[in-house]
Amino acid sequence: MPIPNLEKPIIKGLIQKDKVIVDGVELDGTWNAFMIERTQTGYDQSVWDEIANTVEGATISLCWQCGTCTSGCTMREYDPNYSPRRFIDLARKGDKQSLIELQDSIWRCVSCQKCTHRCPKGVLVEEVVHSIHNYLLKHGLVKTDPGTVFDELFLETVMKNGGRISELILGGASAKAGFVTMSLRDLLTMMGPLLKSGLIKDLMKPSRVKDWDKIKPVLEEAMKEEVYPE
Amino acid sequence: MTEILNPFGKVALYPGCALDGLGKAYDVTLQLVAKDLGINYEKIEDYNCCGALEVKNVNTMAGLLLPARNLSLARQMGANAVMSACPGCHYSLSRTQYFMTRYPKLREKVNSYLEKMGTKQYDMQLLMIHAVEFIYNTVGPEGVKSRVKRPLQGLKVAPYYGCLYSRPKAYTLTGYMKMKDDPERPVFMDELLRALGAEVVPFESKTMCCGGPHVYSDVNTSLHLEARILKDAKRNGAELLITDCPLGHVAIESNMNKITEKYGQDLRMPLTYFTQLLAFAFGHSPEETLLTANLTDPMSVLKRYM
Repeated sequence: MPIPNLEKPIIKGLIQKDKVIVDGVELDGTWNAFMIERTQTGYDQSVWDEIANTVEGATISLCWQCGTCTSGCTMREYDPNYSPRRFIDLARKGDKQSLIELQDSIWRCVSCQKCTHRCPKGVLVEEVVHSIHNYLLKHGLVKTDPGTVFDELFLETVMKNGGRISELILGGASAKAGFVTMSLRDLLTMMGPLLKSGLIKDLMKPSRVKDWDKIKPVLEEAMKEEVYPE
Repeated sequence: MTEILNPFGKVALYPGCALDGLGKAYDVTLQLVAKDLGINYEKIEDYNCCGALEVKNVNTMAGLLLPARNLSLARQMGANAVMSACPGCHYSLSRTQYFMTRYPKLREKVNSYLEKMGTKQYDMQLLMIHAVEFIYNTVGPEGVKSRVKRPLQGLKVAPYYGCLYSRPKAYTLTGYMKMKDDPERPVFMDELLRALGAEVVPFESKTMCCGGPHVYSDVNTSLHLEARILKDAKRNGAELLITDCPLGHVAIESNMNKITEKYGQDLRMPLTYFTQLLAFAFGHSPEETLLTANLTDPMSVLKRYM
């Protein structure tokens, strides 16, 4: 990974003078060089602010960049670009460009919670990473990834099937969306036990929540509401 | 029978969609085991999906409100604790409790929506526990041992807890209380299985993730993670993989053939839910415990104890 451009302007420029006299003493060598600006600029604070203002992302400010989350991360082994620590670092700097470059990795969190569990500072790392990802999606900076497509499909299935799902209905919906490829052999191994136990009936028709018609609109209304960590 | 000390008070079972679906064997055998051991719980009626690991990623409010409704229903039953058999549900419910405790305004909002739905406000008075913790803390290994009719002497098992059984400690409170398991190296299920006479093999992947949430959307990662779990169990000589997570159970079982094809190494191994093995050791028949209805064939190993 190259050094992000944002870190380059730390030293904006130098003033070097041939002759410097302070309190009557003449300075020479490196003492006669001065930095004009010592503050890092080019940060986009709005990214951090917006993420810190979500219920999931509120703990982003606690991060000390120690890297415990990333060293134990399940995904990192399979995708070297996957790094919760780096996602948090880039989000805090507001380096959208670098985050966009990592878009094929950032969605791949499997929610195993090792990072959150181990964080010595109490950062809810898994939640924060999802919040960063949601920020990118919300502002149209990244394309919709398979993980998000599936998550949306899951919610849709819950809403459509009376507040509950069955693996078969969800599997069916996923197959329709092009996710599942099942060979005939897979189907045959699945079907035997399902028929033997009589499970197939329960799976095809999951029972609905009784007053779902009343509950569903309330849920839909609630889902539109903006919520803040307070 | 001596009265069993139950530190949890009245326990409500949140079955979740898994136990009413592909995890039916888990549900049936949990009932059998609880009856045999003389421990009581009551099912939450008219529950809804907990949102699993998916809903929270696409909508914050839905991710909190769905579990909160179940918690409120449990309180209406007068429960003091909610038991989940599925670590995913356990996680979702605990997470909601965490956020509702942490943010009072958010809690008010969730509660006002609960009232609109026709449920009572949730008063934050519940402890979330997992089925393994429930059995371990009520009857314990000794209680289990006294019920065994078919000692499983010489059976080598690898207990697979899954990731969310113990993590993260902020939500599940593991590591903070005596009645909760060790957060990184859990042992409750090991001890229950040992009480059956089985030999628990060393198993590094105990709490490793199986890639469940991405089993459809990122299938290669899932296969990779599942292969690693099977490989660790096999290398240490396990004959059976014992699960307490319906998602992990179904994901590993249904991908077994694909894994073997992909990695060119025979990693096939039968799986049972821990309650299935308990019920079998307590003398129930393979049909009763639905051991014959698993996608893999645990009876090929267990028939020597019949």
